[in-house]
Amino acid sequence: MTFALIVSSDKYSLLELAKTLEKNDVDITWAESSSDALSMTSNTMFDLIIADEFLENMTGLEFIKKIVPVNPMLNCAVVSSLSQGDFHEASEGLGILMQLPVQLKEKDADELLQRLKTILNLTHKTGAVEK
Amino acid sequence: MENGRIAVPSAEKGGLDGTRSGHFGHCDVFTFIDVENGSIKEVSTIPNQSHVQGGCMVPVNLLAEHKVNALIVGGIGMRPLMGFKQAGIDVYHDSERPEIKPVVEDLIAGKLSQITDNQVCGGGGGGMNLA
Repeated sequence: MTFALIVSSDKYSLLELAKTLEKNDVDITWAESSSDALSMTSNTMFDLIIADEFLENMTGLEFIKKIVPVNPMLNCAVVSSLSQGDFHEASEGLGILMQLPVQLKEKDADELLQRLKTILNLTHKTGAVEK
Repeated sequence: MENGRIAVPSAEKGGLDGTRSGHFGHCDVFTFIDVENGSIKEVSTIPNQSHVQGGCMVPVNLLAEHKVNALIVGGIGMRPLMGFKQAGIDVYHDSERPEIKPVVEDLIAGKLSQITDNQVCGGGGGGMNLA
C-alpha cells in the first residue's frame, strides 16, 4: 500500500485523480489547508503529497517550498498552470516528482503513479509508518 | 577531518586523480575517500544510480547506506541538501575547482566550508562552473 496526502481547498478539482490513485492501491488522505497538511506530515509519513495550484493563503508551489526543508524525503507533485520552462525555473532544487496540469486526465494520474513507483523502487520503500 | 568517509560526485571513472561532476545527481560515479587520523587511507568508487525526475533522495539513500560522513558538491538543490542534513551527512561546497584531489585535501585540512542554505541551486543561489 502506498500513502498519499492531497492538499486542496476544493476537493472536487482533484477527486478524479484521487479515484484513479485509489484504484491503484494508493491510500488517500485529504487536507483542506497547508497548515493541516504540515501538521499531518509531522505525525505520519506519506509516500507522496499532491498540492493543488492554489491553497487558502499560498500557491501549491509555495507550500511545497515550505514542506521540503522539514520533510525532504516526501515525494511531491503539484498542480500548476505555469509553462514547463517557468515551472522548472520556479521549482528548481525542490525535486518535484511531477507538474500536474490544471485539467487533469487519467493519463496524468497513470504517469504520476509510474514515476512514484520508480522512485519508491529506487529508494527502497519500506512502507508508511507513524513517526 | 580526522576520520570518516568523504564522497565526491565524479565524472567517468572517478578516483582521487579524476575530475568532479557538475551535478551530483547526474554524476557517473561517486569517489569515496576514507580518512584515518587525518590521512587518506583508501580510495574507492561506486556507480551512481539512474537519475529520474524527483529522485533527489536516491543518492542521499545511496551515500547514507555507504556510511558517508561528508560530501563535496559544486551545486545542490534545497531538497537533497535537507535530505543529507537529515541523514547526518555534512555537505561541503567548492564551485571552482574541477579536480577531486585538491578539494579533498582542503576538506581534510579544514579549509573547505559547508554549503549554506542560501547557496543552494534555485531561488537565486548556487550554481557552479565545473564540467
